[in-house]
Amino acid sequence: MIAQNIAFAILALVATLAALRVVTTRNVVHAALYLVVVLASVGALYVLLAAEFVAAVQILIYIGAIVVLFLFGIMLTRATIGVESDLDNDQRWIAAITGLFLLGVLTFVLVESFGDDQLPGLAGVSREELTAQRGTGAVGDAIFSTYLVPFEVISVLLLAALVGAIVLARRD
Amino acid sequence: MPPVFDTPAIDYHAFAPEIAMVVTLVVLLFVDLVFEERGRWATATVAGIGLLASVVPVLSLAVDGADRSLFGGAYVVDNFALVLKALFLVAGYVTVLISTDYIADGDYYEGEYYFMLVSSLLGMTVMASARDLISIFVALEMLSIPAYLLAGWRKRDLRGNEASLKYYLLGVFASAVMLYGMSLVFGVSGSTLLVDINQAISRGVDSVPLVTVGIVFIVVGFAFKVSAVPFHTWAPDTYQGAPTPITAFLSVASKAAGFAALVQIVFIGFLGREDVWAPMFWVLAALTMTVGNLIALRQTNLVRLLAYSSVAQAGFMLAPFAVAADIPADRGGVGAATGAVVTYLLIYAGMNLGAFAVVMAVARKTRSAEISAYGGLFAYAPGLAVLMGVFVFSLAGIPPLAGWYAKFVVFKTLLDAGTVAAVTLAVVAVVNSVIALFYYASVARQMIMEPAPEAETARVRVPGSLGAALGICAVATLAFGAFPGLIAQLGDLALLGVLP
Amino acid sequence: MTGDPLFADGFDWVVLAILVAKAVIGFTIVVVGVIFMIWFERKVVADMQNRIGPNRAGRWGLGQTLADGIKLIFKEDLKPDRADKPVFRLAPYLSVVPAFLTFTIVPIGGVFTGGNDGGVELFGRRTWMQVADPPVGVLFLLAMSSIAVYGIMLAGWSSGSKYPLLGSVRATAQMVSYEAALGLSVVAVVLLSGSLSTHDIVAAQAGSIFDWNVIATAAVPFVVFCVAATAELNRPPFDLVEAEQELVGGFHTEYSSIRFGMFYLAEFMNTITMSAIIVTLFLGGPAGPVLFGPPLIWGTLWFTLKLLVFLFIFVWLRATLPRYRYDQLMDLGWKRLIPLSLGWLLVIGAISIGRDAGWNRPLTLVGAFSLGVISWAALIGAMRVAKLRRGGDEFGELSTATERVG
Repeated sequence: MIAQNIAFAILALVATLAALRVVTTRNVVHAALYLVVVLASVGALYVLLAAEFVAAVQILIYIGAIVVLFLFGIMLTRATIGVESDLDNDQRWIAAITGLFLLGVLTFVLVESFGDDQLPGLAGVSREELTAQRGTGAVGDAIFSTYLVPFEVISVLLLAALVGAIVLARRD
Repeated sequence: MPPVFDTPAIDYHAFAPEIAMVVTLVVLLFVDLVFEERGRWATATVAGIGLLASVVPVLSLAVDGADRSLFGGAYVVDNFALVLKALFLVAGYVTVLISTDYIADGDYYEGEYYFMLVSSLLGMTVMASARDLISIFVALEMLSIPAYLLAGWRKRDLRGNEASLKYYLLGVFASAVMLYGMSLVFGVSGSTLLVDINQAISRGVDSVPLVTVGIVFIVVGFAFKVSAVPFHTWAPDTYQGAPTPITAFLSVASKAAGFAALVQIVFIGFLGREDVWAPMFWVLAALTMTVGNLIALRQTNLVRLLAYSSVAQAGFMLAPFAVAADIPADRGGVGAATGAVVTYLLIYAGMNLGAFAVVMAVARKTRSAEISAYGGLFAYAPGLAVLMGVFVFSLAGIPPLAGWYAKFVVFKTLLDAGTVAAVTLAVVAVVNSVIALFYYASVARQMIMEPAPEAETARVRVPGSLGAALGICAVATLAFGAFPGLIAQLGDLALLGVLP
Repeated sequence: MTGDPLFADGFDWVVLAILVAKAVIGFTIVVVGVIFMIWFERKVVADMQNRIGPNRAGRWGLGQTLADGIKLIFKEDLKPDRADKPVFRLAPYLSVVPAFLTFTIVPIGGVFTGGNDGGVELFGRRTWMQVADPPVGVLFLLAMSSIAVYGIMLAGWSSGSKYPLLGSVRATAQMVSYEAALGLSVVAVVLLSGSLSTHDIVAAQAGSIFDWNVIATAAVPFVVFCVAATAELNRPPFDLVEAEQELVGGFHTEYSSIRFGMFYLAEFMNTITMSAIIVTLFLGGPAGPVLFGPPLIWGTLWFTLKLLVFLFIFVWLRATLPRYRYDQLMDLGWKRLIPLSLGWLLVIGAISIGRDAGWNRPLTLVGAFSLGVISWAALIGAMRVAKLRRGGDEFGELSTATERVG
């Protein structure tokens, strides 16, 4: 468990610092790239939890599609290089205080409720069992049996979003 | 490799309304693709027919009578779900009626408009049946995302863009907060089914802070959806900037969907923990009613006035939540609160849609939604003025119009609860009703007493579908007011089947 | 589906040493392959164009790549004044690293027939002949090709000038569009093998040549994958983004010296890796008949031969085909490849279900194929009708040249 704790500590630190840089940097593209670091750290955390499918999908979708879309939007509309002096928020101190307050509340709540829990030791679990529980097959089975209705609704949702986005973005 | 997969049992009759709507969506896309310019009117017809066709399985399921529970209890079709599905579909149909000429005359994308409308309605009908966190969240997104896009349908108008952007940004923020709350609640209970959550969190006093935070976050997320104060700031700008049929749709159907989700989550999932949510709802209800009414008093634009009035009406609908746990069992318990909310929703839908329909009819001629433009309406368009009077006084709660029965049911619920908090809330509600009467009556006064602005004396032509919508809403408002027994039955039908 | 047996008994120094050795070997293979590939391409293109190609630097010009590399190292490293320095420096690495990482999941040898599981014995531990075998190997491949997009996009943006930005935006749009077709064609393979792991995919094709996925999936996903891979690699005929005639140099205009060298390296690394992936997914990887001697070397030999065939095909495409126009390229990706691969996936899915449920096999085949053909025709018909109504001619093309904007 030592190795997992160390790995978790490193990933959590990287994610936290990158997240802080996302909101404090003055360059929009740099903010998007720091977001990529945060998302990649979360993906690595999923690997630590033996959820490899979710990790791969996190990288594929979040980093490979969503942030690419952000960057597309930024590049096609602004594309200014370098620091933007007005990329700031007048309410940043109130926001920081609110953020710290929220951090305090959530830390207290989570530590109080889950502080004594331990992740089930993965060393004693065989790979077959892990795969059966968390592998791609298990996720696929869940999507198509227990969560069939949300799955179908999401597919219609994607179509509606596609149609609406094209309508709003069309130049005419 | 051979699959080890159990095909889930699917009850197609239970899904028939949703399947009909998906078929409508596909047909809409193809009609829009193939007919291009000359057949544009066809998309409105297809949408309307599709929605009516989706009501048929709802009726057949109601006649059938049995509760259907699918996917381990995640998707339940019981009376509550059926009443709400019918509400959504009829409200959607009325929206289609009032949109037809507005969208056709303006330079808007027509086929896609109806596509987005029906897909939002699909999300709402799924929401009415969803009894687990994931289904509720997905249904919420399904109904919201087309609504965000529809709010910005007036692409070239700055107000339209602002409307959509504000709605979208605040909406996704609220969704994020709610989703975090859902993850915390899932962490405590280990299951996404509402009944399992209820068992887990009402069992003991362990993990009280976590449950509290989770419940608060979830309620906040939905409070945004129903435009409760202080999460209502999107409502006036969005209602003003969106196309008026969409404003009507948002203020009625989207709000009803939010309330449906709140009823399910709070009355099934969180039922043992009213120490957390009851005070929260008390504050939300009182604030919403008061702030909504007070700000509405100062409005000069009728659409913004109706927006704030719908915020205040949401406050009335939140009041039963605050006292639900205190209602004694012989007066109906939590089921009475559910019935009150559903009754209010049904009646409110009729009156609000009607009010917006009149706004649209008058705007066809005056091109303005300012209250001053309604001056003297009674002189040159008496029918419309009378209808507006009916809807506005119904919203105020004057008998024999339907609004009085809605308010009556809510007051009955509050007084049945009997606690000090409940009676205080009832007093706040009465005061707010009186305040509301002021601005509703001012609209009527403007129409009847004020002289008409110059050159405004031509007759107002009301197109067929708009007239039909007006007719439906007027009949609903008058009939339910004169014969409240009709709607009392629907309110009673809405008792949930899964109360502990 | 049990994963690499190297980790079955816990993790100790021997395991670590084997892992490091495999990584080093893999990296060496890729780098040597790149050096070879650059020379190979120049020689073959020259031959097709009826000239000799490099023949000065070493015997048959084999040292040409090395000479070019040394020259590049000694060039001046230009950084444009308006460039975003950190991102400018980062971008080449974002192109190179995914290319190598994808190669780690490719099995380069091993015996899979006769009950063997394709492993080799090293220092007493059994291991697969690939650097890593994640259970979601195919998803890892798709994820790495998504990250490769970043290298190009950031290179163009951070250069701070017009042509690179334009080139990178086009390249990004192209790569993102073809990722969908790439993924969908791979799903057909995954459906037949029942696993996302490249080791299991290769094991499933080890029987006979009719088990190779190119035949088992009736060639359509193979064709779609090859076309999509060519577009992902920005290789001709989809190389509009780096065409000198159009965009100076595209996204790497402002890069010089070793940074440009890294983009160059990355492109060829990607080519080798993609060819290796195609061989693994569709042509059975190391599968092939064992003629004489120890069976182990034949796996690697067959793999290398198939890889060379595909490298040759990529070079052949460069030498012969004219470039696709940008709107034709996007049209191909979205309107033809995605419906085709998705439709074919449904057909294969129907046939698989039929086989498991015991339906009548010829009837299933006929039914599935005819349904596929009908829906394809309906889709194309709908698109033609829509184009007609928008003002094209009966062939579906837009009639005026002014509407062909890129």
